[in-house]
Amino acid sequence: MLVHSRKGRWTAWLFFFVLFLPLFALPFLVVVMASFATHWSGAFPSHATFAHYRDVTHGDSLHALTTSLLTALAASLLALVIGTWAALAAERLRGAARRVLDGLFMLPVAVPSVVVGLSLLVAFSQPPFLLNGTARIVVLAHTVLVTAFAYQSVSAALSRLDPAYEQSAASLGARPATVLWRIRIPLLLPSLTAAAGLCFALSMGELSATMMLYPPDWVPLPVRIYGATSRGSLFEGAALAVVLMLTTLVVLLGMSRVRTRASYR
Amino acid sequence: MASATAGPPPQAPAEPATRGRRPQAPGTRHRTRRVPGWAWALPPVAALGLSFLYPLVLVAKQSLSPDSGGHSFAAYTQVFHEDSFRKALWNTVWIATASTAGCLVLGFALALVIAFVPFPGGKALSRFIDVFLAFPSFLITLALLFVYGTVGMANGLWTDATGAAHGPVAFLQTPWGVLLAEVTYFTPFVMRPLLAAFSQVDTAQVEAASSLGARAPRIVRQIILPEALPSLAAGGSLVLVLCLNEFGIVLFTGAKGVTTLPMLVYSKAILDGDYPGACAVAMVAVVLSVALYALYRAAAARALGGGRRARA
Amino acid sequence: MDPAADRTDTPQGAGIRFDRVTVAYGGTTVLDALDLTVEPGEVMALLGPSGSGKTTALRAVAGFVRPASGRVMIGGRDVTDLPPYKRGIGMVVQQYALFPHLRVDQNVAFGLKARRTPRGRIAARVTEALEMTGMAGYARRYPRELSGGQQQRVAIARALAIRPGVLLLDEPLSALDARLRSGMLAELSRLHRELPDVSILYVTHDQIEALTLADRIAVLDQARLQDCGTPHELYRTPRTEFTATFVGNANLLRVRAGEPGSVSLDATTLRVTAPDDASTGPAAGAEATLCVRPHALRITDAKATGPAAGSPEAAAVPGANILHGTVTDVQWRGHTHRLLVEAHGHELRADVGDLRQPPRVGDDVALTFDAEDGVLLPAGLAGGVPVG
Repeated sequence: MLVHSRKGRWTAWLFFFVLFLPLFALPFLVVVMASFATHWSGAFPSHATFAHYRDVTHGDSLHALTTSLLTALAASLLALVIGTWAALAAERLRGAARRVLDGLFMLPVAVPSVVVGLSLLVAFSQPPFLLNGTARIVVLAHTVLVTAFAYQSVSAALSRLDPAYEQSAASLGARPATVLWRIRIPLLLPSLTAAAGLCFALSMGELSATMMLYPPDWVPLPVRIYGATSRGSLFEGAALAVVLMLTTLVVLLGMSRVRTRASYR
Repeated sequence: MASATAGPPPQAPAEPATRGRRPQAPGTRHRTRRVPGWAWALPPVAALGLSFLYPLVLVAKQSLSPDSGGHSFAAYTQVFHEDSFRKALWNTVWIATASTAGCLVLGFALALVIAFVPFPGGKALSRFIDVFLAFPSFLITLALLFVYGTVGMANGLWTDATGAAHGPVAFLQTPWGVLLAEVTYFTPFVMRPLLAAFSQVDTAQVEAASSLGARAPRIVRQIILPEALPSLAAGGSLVLVLCLNEFGIVLFTGAKGVTTLPMLVYSKAILDGDYPGACAVAMVAVVLSVALYALYRAAAARALGGGRRARA
Repeated sequence: MDPAADRTDTPQGAGIRFDRVTVAYGGTTVLDALDLTVEPGEVMALLGPSGSGKTTALRAVAGFVRPASGRVMIGGRDVTDLPPYKRGIGMVVQQYALFPHLRVDQNVAFGLKARRTPRGRIAARVTEALEMTGMAGYARRYPRELSGGQQQRVAIARALAIRPGVLLLDEPLSALDARLRSGMLAELSRLHRELPDVSILYVTHDQIEALTLADRIAVLDQARLQDCGTPHELYRTPRTEFTATFVGNANLLRVRAGEPGSVSLDATTLRVTAPDDASTGPAAGAEATLCVRPHALRITDAKATGPAAGSPEAAAVPGANILHGTVTDVQWRGHTHRLLVEAHGHELRADVGDLRQPPRVGDDVALTFDAEDGVLLPAGLAGGVPVG
């Protein structure tokens, strides 16, 4: 313990919560409060209503939610497959080749998402690949952006995996493919579900590249939230934001449940 | 226990091979033909190349091919002469730098309390930080609109108290609003590696130091800070890159006065349809970010190496 | 349990041969030209301190390290270029490495499934292997639900289920506490009696395990094979100073050889075991190293057997083998007293039975040993490791 006096500890805690609560807790609180209101002219919002949530259950908002869910599902699955494959391939490499692969797969984190969107717009509006104006280009952009995170978490998990398991399996006569399917993938499962959850969450909230690419019939939730707030419907935007956060949270929790159920030791 | 009939009798006759894998003649080299290690990397690299590198190359190419045809640096010279570009570049750099500094100070202080002045619920709080990292950034700006916006909590309190028609709080549409949002959103990115580093600090060292009479500030300065420095550097440079690239916060702020490079790329391409110009700005942003990201990777590698050394 | 029906990659009763096997990592030689043969059905212990190369030797047999030069043979077949999964060996490692996501029976069945044993036979073989190790009641458990000793048994069952000709054990008992360890040691000897055709390569740093279990022991140090022989040979007649001190912690005395069967230390003549073959012994007058085990030294009443210490008369008493010295430390170890005695420029370790009146530090004592307990190290092999 760093601070020994009772007074000192209370000072530290007071300092912590004076900073922490308004900065990190208040934002979530006000968004939730606003989502149930139609006016905010005093210290607190007024005119409580469930109307915004009723709107989410049908029409364009519902469509935006399913669009986001489908996009996130497709992008996170694709990213998981590509990222896992690349991480497994990278593990067999040494030296410069390994560093090049690491750098390459982490590069999409460094490049601004808006630029990733722009580049896909430029590349896939012309032959030989015409994807502009389709849902696929949105999924592609999300995949590019989240693959780096899948790659990173699977790589980290691989480096933590005890080689004794695969060696024992090999000594028992299991070929590399069997070792991969029966031993390594099951042992990696907790990390894979965690990576999938992270990718899903990031894709659910992706706005920058999507703003560059979305076709009129494939409007994900973040774009819809932006649309609502920019035309002044802040309270509707707040309700949509709560739906976005809840969905993300449910998926993350679900994934972490899978994780605890599948984790060993 | 066992019936002791395990295994064939000592002179068991050689059994016929039921399936494949027959022992081969001694001395022969039987290397199965295997796919070399690098070949496994080809499919994912090809996918990445097609969906990420190839488009980036096209952006670079387009930035050098103005609508009038041919190849030239016209787009760059034009962009560099624009007032809006210079302002965006300046805004991007100073907001990102200031946000990073704010995140580092705030993140260090908060992580210090969580790690070394533990309180009930601290564990749950660190999990809250993990969830925070998975949410999109624009939620923060949206929330700030309800706290400090023209209709919102702060101004509402003022008008309730004074009866005035308008509140005095109106900084959200200025760069300070972006700064506040970025500090709020990115501070957890600093806290997470710091908490990991703090958990590596030997509590015995802290206890030994305080038993020798050192007070908290001295322990922080002489024991905790040196241990956390690599993680601070790594977290700080990551946040710097992410701030440079941040788009959602700026977009939701909706202020015409606050334009950053990503915002400029968006408005040139989508609102103005000026693709060569957008591509030129994009290349500047990419060069800036990738250079800083390379620094981050170096810092992160050192942070990791330092951690390993400390554990050994 | 139909012996004719099962098939393994290595025939039962396969031996192992290291043919000048050298392993190097980035310029450091971790195993230097090892020549060693494990006979079919033999238990060979690889004994040595950490970093001696013993685990590397085992991993070269398993196929996890590739020799820089030399060949590894199993059952007369050169396996140097075979991947591990084609070698048909059973292996048990220190931390067991049971697959945490599989139940005990699935763990044991893993190797059988990997080699596509017919489904019907797998169940029988799993039951057999689990019964053999006394784990039949735990088939449906997961590894995390087992104690360390139980995990150990499952790991052995898993390795035995594939009926390997060769079983590799890498420090299998070092993760167990002392009491479990001696129990498992007895279990392993029993298992080997039940499976007399399986050759076992047993890596350990513990001399008790090696002496208890092995038919022969290969002593490794600093990447080299130092000595190889039956436990009795190594203990009774070590050939190097390293073996003498590492196995049984012997006292080594610098002496001068006399006629066969006698040496002189300063002015004292000592009777020792004469070598079977006189040509291997040191020439008369040459420097030699005498090896005496701590428990072979006894305290004797020097006055009863001869005149005062150091006098020429003491040396004249035939067979007296008296060493005079001063006690520098006394440690009580329950059933013995360990005395450290400064004598003739050597610090001798003596383990003497629980004395009612042990000597105190500073006392002068006389130590004696029987001629057959004094062994001269062969000439030319005595150099190398300093006496600890």
